[in-house]
Amino acid sequence: MKTATVLIVAIVAQAAGDVFLTRGMKSMVSLDASGGGLSESISQVSHIAFQALQSPMIWIGTLLLIVFFALFSAALSWADLSFVLPATAFGYVLNVAAGYYFLNETVSPRRWAGAAIITLGVLFVSRSGARTVEAPGEELLAARGIE
Amino acid sequence: MITTLLIALVVLGGSAGDVFITKGMKQLGEIQTLHPGRLLGIAGRAITNRYFLIGVLFMAISYFSFLGALRLADLSLVLPATSVSFVITTIGARLFLKEKISPSRLAGIVLVCAGVALISIPSQH
Repeated sequence: MKTATVLIVAIVAQAAGDVFLTRGMKSMVSLDASGGGLSESISQVSHIAFQALQSPMIWIGTLLLIVFFALFSAALSWADLSFVLPATAFGYVLNVAAGYYFLNETVSPRRWAGAAIITLGVLFVSRSGARTVEAPGEELLAARGIE
Repeated sequence: MITTLLIALVVLGGSAGDVFITKGMKQLGEIQTLHPGRLLGIAGRAITNRYFLIGVLFMAISYFSFLGALRLADLSLVLPATSVSFVITTIGARLFLKEKISPSRLAGIVLVCAGVALISIPSQH
């Protein structure tokens, strides 16, 4: 239950963070320099970076991705990596659904199929139990019974 | 050739990063509090944990390899190729973290890997 709650909030934060970052980055103006030289690249990157620092969208998106990473790491303090990582793949499904319902994107049949297969995969993984190894120094767990 | 190497670095760096971060977090022990002060203390111990920091370093290597790969190849090649990291990370979790991969979990991970590859290949039209 705890694992599910933490991971669901993490996945939603990540999907929302991606949307904010995408909107923020797409609203930026790039320099017209198209040379491939090192100095052009550096000036291009610093130009974008300067705009990024001033964009609320980028700040909110970055903050949400930090929330995702904190919750992802927190879950790993008790749950298996081979459980948490595939579970977070459900974020891809959220992205497809959000694109379809909120951004009016057209979603190809192959992307719907991919989303369905990921959902099936996450269901399989979630049936396998979140934890197969004990965190050291957690005698407490044994005392109160492992979920 | 360089593209292949960079994609390998993206996948292996990301998987190694996840394994090290898990090792660091398991060392801290299960988080059981919602008290803000204690959570801050745990965050402080995490970002000074050696395994956690090595994990973040691998993540950074993976991320910059990803950017490098995108300079040489299309996103339509790089993104589906990285979906294999779900399987590679699972192998790492089994070898280095001694996690038990049940048949149900393995089937789920293979399905996730296939689904992510399908989603990330862009449409032709």
